[in-house]
Amino acid sequence: MPIGGVVITCRAAHRNAVVRDLKHYSILEVHGADDKGNIVAVIDSQTSEEMETLIDTINKHEHILNVGMTYLNTEDEAEKMARGEKLTKPFGFRKPLEPPDTDELK
Amino acid sequence: MAQSRRDFIKKAAALSAASYVSMKLPISGSNIAKADEGVIWHRGSCRLCGVGCRVELGVKNGEPMGLRGVSDSRTNYGYVCMKGMHFWKCMRHPDRLTMPLYRKSKKESFKEISWDQALDIAASEFAEAHKAGGGSAVAYYGSGQALTEETYLFQKIMRGGLQSNNVEGNPRLCMASAVGGYLTSFGADEPIGGYSDLEKAHCFFIIGSNTAEAHPVLFRRIMRRKLDNPNDVKVINVDPRVSQTSRIADKHLQFKPGTDLALLNSMAHVIIEENLFDDDFLTKYTTFKSGKETVDFDTYKTQVAKYTPEETAKICGDAFSPEDVREVARWFATSKGTVSLWTMGLNQRKRGVWANNLVHNLHILTGQLMKDGADSLSLTGQPNACGGVREGGGLCHILPGHRPVANEKLRSQVEQAWGVPAGRIPPKPGLHTMAMFSAVNEAKIKAIWINCTSPVQSLPNCNLYNEGMDRDDVFIVCTDIFHTLTTQKANLVLPTSFHFEKTGVYGCTERRSQITKKAISSPGEAKPEVWIIREWASRLADKLNDPIITQCIKPFEGLEEGYDLPKAIWNEYSQKLTAHRDNDLRGATYEVLEQMADGVQWPAPTEEFALTGGTVKKFVKGRDPMADSESKDDLPYQFYGPAHPDRKLWIWLRDQADPEEVPDSEYPFYLSTGRIVDHWHTMSMTGRIPELLRANPYAYVEINPKDAQKLGIKPGDMVELKSRRGVNIMPAKVYEGPVEGMVFAYWHDQHEDRMINKVTKDAFDPGSKEPEFKICAVQVKRVSGPKPLKPFIV
Repeated sequence: MPIGGVVITCRAAHRNAVVRDLKHYSILEVHGADDKGNIVAVIDSQTSEEMETLIDTINKHEHILNVGMTYLNTEDEAEKMARGEKLTKPFGFRKPLEPPDTDELK
Repeated sequence: MAQSRRDFIKKAAALSAASYVSMKLPISGSNIAKADEGVIWHRGSCRLCGVGCRVELGVKNGEPMGLRGVSDSRTNYGYVCMKGMHFWKCMRHPDRLTMPLYRKSKKESFKEISWDQALDIAASEFAEAHKAGGGSAVAYYGSGQALTEETYLFQKIMRGGLQSNNVEGNPRLCMASAVGGYLTSFGADEPIGGYSDLEKAHCFFIIGSNTAEAHPVLFRRIMRRKLDNPNDVKVINVDPRVSQTSRIADKHLQFKPGTDLALLNSMAHVIIEENLFDDDFLTKYTTFKSGKETVDFDTYKTQVAKYTPEETAKICGDAFSPEDVREVARWFATSKGTVSLWTMGLNQRKRGVWANNLVHNLHILTGQLMKDGADSLSLTGQPNACGGVREGGGLCHILPGHRPVANEKLRSQVEQAWGVPAGRIPPKPGLHTMAMFSAVNEAKIKAIWINCTSPVQSLPNCNLYNEGMDRDDVFIVCTDIFHTLTTQKANLVLPTSFHFEKTGVYGCTERRSQITKKAISSPGEAKPEVWIIREWASRLADKLNDPIITQCIKPFEGLEEGYDLPKAIWNEYSQKLTAHRDNDLRGATYEVLEQMADGVQWPAPTEEFALTGGTVKKFVKGRDPMADSESKDDLPYQFYGPAHPDRKLWIWLRDQADPEEVPDSEYPFYLSTGRIVDHWHTMSMTGRIPELLRANPYAYVEINPKDAQKLGIKPGDMVELKSRRGVNIMPAKVYEGPVEGMVFAYWHDQHEDRMINKVTKDAFDPGSKEPEFKICAVQVKRVSGPKPLKPFIV
């Protein structure tokens, strides 16, 4: 269950609207925002993949210019791997992923 | 209420992010200490692109568990991109190579063998090849991702041991034109300034670079500068394709691929016509060159005068107006500081050196150099293309310390430093990359060592060169951490330690050398390359009964491979080979590098100076110690670079030159290729990290909506891209990205249907020998509606 610290940047004029939109994501906590359009947030997800998907999604937000990551802790997964436990999404790619929705390409 | 460990970690994550934007949060700093219990953070560099972000790898009970940026590093101020945040997951990946693998014939399957056997085979095969054909029958093909110590030692054994200058590396495919540009324009390789100019610039001229995806952390700095100063800072984006980078641009100029030389000349024309050039700077510091001739300002003025904005707009395809050219030229010339940035859009061209020269021309013409906030800054694609390959002797024509191999005096300096007899290093440069793999095709090269790179996928027109690598009479050794398409054509695959599993130095874009120390063990029997080279060379000396090869490794015998061995190699390189050269690294000892948050920028002749961080601005007296020590007059700038005996900057007269292949009735579209944010090169690493793979599981082709409509292509349709060399079939993304008449494909995909370098062209720049990946002509055809696709990793 990874935890990431991120700085999300938008134009200052859109800050409040972006913060409002970000609050819809249950795995993202907004900790603060400044007058320059910097928004400090923490993502606490079940899997690294879920975190990546969220970052991809918010990167596509019309007013968000950049999502900058500063910290990533995945010690739960690392410890499980060190113990030899299998993860739901283990490293490696032995089986093909489900084909993505072709809508994603549009 | 009691807090859990996860609460502490979340608060530490919030404080970490807040610290980068100087935001105060109502969270106690003690949460960081609680989150760090049991964790040791090891400082090093990111393994991926050329930015050189400093990171810390968290290790708990000997296992890697997290990553964080280093906030006091001047490269990234703590930020790390998503690729960078995930690279450490390669460390404990189950696909890691852990045992040497061998097969006598490439038709056989690999079998695990011991290191003793593997090193013996490698030595025997290279010895036999050498006996049969001398130095020209053997080759080393390395990487801008290898540590400097690795590249340096490989080339030492090849040149000093096997008397072969067949030493090349994949930076030939990405940076060679930048090297040519810097040498011919400034007299010295690598930029004058660096990242510190970004926060002081008032105009950014971004050409041929999707900085947002290829160098996201630097893009963040540029973006921040623009957002904080929306009216005082201009961003110009010049690219045939609208990309993520264009989002912050005040003006984006799209143009017909390959016509940007005309645009750059036109900007120069406007600057002269409107008297915006720096006459004093030109008088003191500039020479005008046309071929081998020295000419004058008026000749240059006449040459660029034919590139009127009106004529140029037509040449470039009428996608912008003449007034657009005038406006960007004015912004460039009159800003308090202009920084140009580019990558492969300029370098990977038939006239890549010329394109680089023309950007440098604009900076020389306007004096937008040497002052804070102004620089002509080529961004590097790989983490150690500059440090290891360009500086450490990793190309066929250069010895360590920026020494051309053809220069007898400089060759002799290297022979003396190595203690090998005079004349040991051949005077003739070896084969450049495309010539090297042509020689493999003809089996003129009998044994080749491919280190940390995958030419099977990354060479242009790769079908042609893969035929040679399939030959059973060409012995191939690969050193790598994972299987790649290239290991599939090898006889011997040697498992290597990954980043943080060994110690060494990377040198990034801005002349900055940074150390990464070993923090964790390697899996299985993977070994650091420096150990592999030393042990191989020792056996090679026996088999060839050549004491000079033994001499090459004598300083390193018996040293422990995790730290002592690379340190000894670095000491030899930095103290003996960079002394008094323009990349003087004598002050950047391991002891100094280990103290620095972000390494040292050369020149740094002494430890005392290196501890200040080194030289931020080359050639400036009072800031660059070599500008003082090499000073020849009272002027504040001293251009002591080795390539310009007149100690001047050179403005080059370069005309518009078309690409090698342009569209015609048979192949009517331009094809360009590039990198996507989630993947690194041939995706042997990032393709094995599920969250990165899933973000972009396969390559696709971007098509302008107008072209798509003409061709009856809808989003997601399967599209055939066919050139005179090869065919790909991949899904279409229809959007206003590429200019009309051009399609754009990503090059990371390993699948045989989507490996775009089967389609690209292997024409190369006559000066830099860098291939023209960026431009060729293709047919574009819809073959079906959307189809489910499976990602492919070998």
